[in-house]
Amino acid sequence: MNDQPLGVLIIEDEVLLATELEFLLEEAGCCSVGHAMSSHEAVTLARDLKPDLALIDVHLCDGPTGVDVARRIQDDCGAVALFMTANVKRLPEDFAGACGVIGKPYSSHGVKTALGYLSICMREGHAPGPPPIALTLSPQYLALWGLLDMPRAG
Amino acid sequence: MIVTDADQPDNPILFANDAFLRLTGYGREEVIGRNCRFLQGADTDPVQVARIRAAIEAGQDIAAEVVNYRKDGSTFWNALYVSPVRGEDGAVSYFFATQLDVSDKRKAEQTLTDSRHDLEQLVAERTSELTQALEQKTALLHEVDHRVKNNLQLISSLLLLQNRRVSDPAVKAALRGMLDRVSAIATVHRRLFQSDDVARFDVSAFVRDLVADVIGASGREDIAFSLDLERVDVAASKAAPLALVINELLSNTLRHAFPGGRPGRIFVGINRIDEAFRIEITDDGVGVDSSTRLSGFGFTIVQLLCQQLKARFESTDASPGTRVVIDLPVDVAP
Repeated sequence: MNDQPLGVLIIEDEVLLATELEFLLEEAGCCSVGHAMSSHEAVTLARDLKPDLALIDVHLCDGPTGVDVARRIQDDCGAVALFMTANVKRLPEDFAGACGVIGKPYSSHGVKTALGYLSICMREGHAPGPPPIALTLSPQYLALWGLLDMPRAG
Repeated sequence: MIVTDADQPDNPILFANDAFLRLTGYGREEVIGRNCRFLQGADTDPVQVARIRAAIEAGQDIAAEVVNYRKDGSTFWNALYVSPVRGEDGAVSYFFATQLDVSDKRKAEQTLTDSRHDLEQLVAERTSELTQALEQKTALLHEVDHRVKNNLQLISSLLLLQNRRVSDPAVKAALRGMLDRVSAIATVHRRLFQSDDVARFDVSAFVRDLVADVIGASGREDIAFSLDLERVDVAASKAAPLALVINELLSNTLRHAFPGGRPGRIFVGINRIDEAFRIEITDDGVGVDSSTRLSGFGFTIVQLLCQQLKARFESTDASPGTRVVIDLPVDVAP
């Protein structure tokens, strides 16, 4: 991966949240490539747009399909998935292969910090330090980015 | 009591006392010479009968409880005890049998068994009902929690979107203030259901989140902050008002204590003193003057919420800077 900004696909059924999130992405130095509201739309857009990162709400307009979307997008186009949900406790233990979760309600600062951190992790292949408070990483990515020996941020 | 003759074929009754006749309803002449199996009937347990027969054939003692029939066809529970009587040669010559009517005991036992069974069934039904009700309530709690969080996110997004559209600094500041307040409540809700005890709220964890977010969002990297947070739990119902107060004080300090890029430090502490706990926010900024005091709407919020929380609020000169202290009574755990 080079120094180009991360291409991010937003998968969120609340249009106002998605619109504001697009602004946040740009401010965090990422590039918003598209917005999907249903699982079908998400899988199709991911295939066409090949994003680096997919921000996925668990509840989409066709039901709690986000977890399934995360698995399919990673399998289809190799994008890294990141959940953004109010139901952190309901996520499967393996995060469906996603790199982690940002719990709702999130703050602008929390999202920007998390995205900045993820950009570095994805570019460098390892973490610059413990993840920011807003971001919880999956066990798989903690190992992948060399964080298992590092203490977690409080 | 009866005595049977083991030497005769089929072990007939040789003697029966009056108590036996009263118990069974037969006349003496009706029982002498017969094997006592005439007392058995349809409800007599064949397993018990077989046990008795085996003991008699083996010449051993036997105690058993069986259903027996009177002459009139009515039944009674007979606690039977049979023992062999041996002659000088060691061979069994007689059997000695006592009978005791234990119908009342049996009935009481049966009633007890029945009622215990009924009770167990009732408990099982009730447990299943309650389990189901609990599952429904848990699902409902998750659903409501989910909606609250999503709606707070929606409100934040609305405020942020409008803030991007307006250019008037006063309107921007007002929207920013409201956004910070909504964010403080949002931080509460993110934390609220994380512990197993949904009725309690960990103030120190909240303050850690809030400070990181408020100071982080301010972009003031020239302001260092330090925390000394003792774990204090409050009732969940107090979490939001307390969060709003802390947010107001912290935002105010950030806004006024370090003007013109003046660097500095902010300390936030929580500690418990007897029946109260104290939240302290101290800065080494420009100190108390008219411009750094809480003003307008923010001050009204702090005043009103301290009144609601029965908390005492005090702002003093810390030279340099300002020291703000809130003393909140510790509520008894519900």
